[in-house]
Amino acid sequence: MRHNAAVSANSMIELSDVSKTFRGTDSPAVQSLSLSVEVGETVVLVGPSGCGKTTTLKMINRLIEPTSGSIVIDGTSVTDLPAHELRRGIGYVIQQIGLFPHRTIRRNIATVPGLLGWEKGRVARRIDELAELVDINPDMLDRYPSELSGGERQRIGVARALAADPPVLLMDEPFGAVDPIVRARLQEGLLSLQERLQKTIVLVTHDIDEAILLGDRVAILNVGGHLEQYDTPAEILRSPASPFVADFLGSDRGIKRLSLIPIRDIELEHGPVVRPDADAEEIERVMAATGVDWIAVGSDGQLDGWTPGADVRSAGGLAGVALRPFETTLDISDSLKEALDAVVSSHTSVAAVFEDGRYLGMLSIDTISEEIVQ
Amino acid sequence: MNNADAIWDRTLEHVYLTALAVGIGLVISLVLSVIALKWRPTYQPITWVTGILYTIPSLALFAFLVPVTGLSVLTAEIGLVSYTLLILIRNIVTGIDAVPVDVLESAAGMGYTQGRRFWDIELPIAVPVIITGIRIATVTVIGLVTVTSLIGLGGLGFFILRGLQNFSSPIGTTQIFIGTILSVVLAVAADVSLAGIERWLTPWANRGAAE
Amino acid sequence: MIEFFGEVAAWFTDPANWQGIDGIPNRMWEHIQMTALSTGVAAVVAIPPAIILAHKRIGGVLVVAGVNIARAVPSFAIVAIALPITIRLGLGLGFWPTFLALLFLAVPPMFSNTYTGITGVDPALVESARGMGLTERQTMTRIEVPVALPVIIAGLRIATVQVIATATLGALVAWGGLGRYIIDGFATQDIPEVFAGGILVALLAITAELAFNIFERAVTPAGQRYEERIGTAR
Repeated sequence: MRHNAAVSANSMIELSDVSKTFRGTDSPAVQSLSLSVEVGETVVLVGPSGCGKTTTLKMINRLIEPTSGSIVIDGTSVTDLPAHELRRGIGYVIQQIGLFPHRTIRRNIATVPGLLGWEKGRVARRIDELAELVDINPDMLDRYPSELSGGERQRIGVARALAADPPVLLMDEPFGAVDPIVRARLQEGLLSLQERLQKTIVLVTHDIDEAILLGDRVAILNVGGHLEQYDTPAEILRSPASPFVADFLGSDRGIKRLSLIPIRDIELEHGPVVRPDADAEEIERVMAATGVDWIAVGSDGQLDGWTPGADVRSAGGLAGVALRPFETTLDISDSLKEALDAVVSSHTSVAAVFEDGRYLGMLSIDTISEEIVQ
Repeated sequence: MNNADAIWDRTLEHVYLTALAVGIGLVISLVLSVIALKWRPTYQPITWVTGILYTIPSLALFAFLVPVTGLSVLTAEIGLVSYTLLILIRNIVTGIDAVPVDVLESAAGMGYTQGRRFWDIELPIAVPVIITGIRIATVTVIGLVTVTSLIGLGGLGFFILRGLQNFSSPIGTTQIFIGTILSVVLAVAADVSLAGIERWLTPWANRGAAE
Repeated sequence: MIEFFGEVAAWFTDPANWQGIDGIPNRMWEHIQMTALSTGVAAVVAIPPAIILAHKRIGGVLVVAGVNIARAVPSFAIVAIALPITIRLGLGLGFWPTFLALLFLAVPPMFSNTYTGITGVDPALVESARGMGLTERQTMTRIEVPVALPVIIAGLRIATVQVIATATLGALVAWGGLGRYIIDGFATQDIPEVFAGGILVALLAITAELAFNIFERAVTPAGQRYEERIGTAR
């Protein structure tokens, strides 16, 4: 499920003409970047290595100081505060996480509240909240980081970043160091977290698929911090602003778009469905009308199965014909990409779509490819 | 004075001289290490000077100090402290250096000031390496304290020197052995205790990994 | 103070101190000879077995334990204990207790460093050597020893400096060497002599350390530096 941010007039983070040239180098790592992040949205900075995405992220919490330009968070310039105070108000998650090995998980999470001087009761309550929020087993709290797995440590890292309830969260390749299965779970976790918390998140990744999945808006950066395109994933996939962007999206850009479209948004076909009491004539008619040589049988929102036309003809009807179940069924909330997968791998070249078990209609490859072409 | 009392007194003297030297050495080394870590170019000269102090034979060092500070605890301590510096500084710096970069970065990113980060994060994590240095320094100093017998102290080395002076009589051999064995026992006891302290201070260092 | 340094200078410029058995050249030579002899024999005794045992990966735990125990025995005690032993063996005072004590002192660091150096050689190198058909002996001499050389030489350095230092105590068992000035000086309350002896010993030790450092650096392949470095991320 994707979170769609309503475009509000409130910009949470505003980068204006920000540049960074490192000492001893000639070409700037980031050149005159201007970017605005709305309250509650997730913006993903993505691009090839050397594009300055991590540098840009680190300038927001002043781990790197810009050579020129200004950065404003919630109306206050980042240089108005001492850097360490600024950072206590921003959550920060890095790829290797950097949990403190000499402290228990509990104390790790309590780091920023400790720095801010929260009193013990409040900290304890907050940790319980976070444990529930990020799905941490309470008996993990008194262990040490070396005893945890990579996926667990990642979630602790997120909990730690959220401990003091900062409005802004910065994440630098947070899911890069784990295997794909764990990564997918962590991404899901982040999405559901965002649904509940509505934090302003800036996330850096080199993985365009991750960007499309997680971002409300995606900023595609080229080497030197040049902003090539900054828009919603759907828009970028629909019309890349330059050959660089098209290239970066990959040649399967059209298919990537499908992952953003839920089946809900498409008009489904009724499909060749007849009631169980239909006779051979009616069956032939329906098959001819739909242009297929197989028939599905069902009634009142229930699908019992399908059978090839040949079986019906040789039996002279449905009586005694064994119905085959649909191999893949889709839910109305699935994306067209999953639908494409199902359709391509099924015998019937269609996929049946359901909502809470109730049959709604069918999707054929034609309907799907119409979406790509659009 | 009966022998057991003498042995006990000398043991106390030995422990006192050692503890004082390692204690002072640790404080000085911490200060110099912080300087070396903050201003990298100073590490080389610091290592160089402490290295020379370490290389100079203890007897020679005492030879330099006696004209200045006489046959006193001060002379002994200046000499002993000098020996601990190289080992301790090297271990402190190496230990702090070994703190993983991601830990440093996440600490900075969460809003730790550099100073607080040093005391709360870097130093505690470096404790195992630092205590290893303290162990080496302590055992070394325990050995060197015996040489201070030549300037009137010596701890258990007193018996070793006495034994040498009485070498022609059987009691000499006994004295040498007593001095030696007790010194070794003291050194081993110190080493084991410090190892135990290390384990007590770092419950996190010995936990197994989940993956 | 200045007066004192004047006396020390006087000691150095006194021609009597440059002649005879108790003259600087003789004592220096005695000291150097003894150092070379004991470290030389120690090297022969310690290094080859260490190479072989390390190559076969035998006895690692013992080496660590052994080094720790050796460190716990004061060098002063080793010299002192050598005396009753050599007397019992009929070898008398002077040379033998000093030599045996220094030998005993030099072996552990040489053995331990050689062992650590050889076991520290990248296993991939050793494996590929074997894979190419080198015999075990060839692997040791052509791969492991050259790669471990800096560490082995560091062991030699540590042992040598320790021997130079402890040889000063040889004066207590009726031997000669530069320690004579310090011990005799203390006995006769001739503090300028004590100081002068200290200078000579210190110079010898520092010279040896520097010489070995240069040697170590010379045999270290360019890409492989065995020295402490400060990390860059602060």
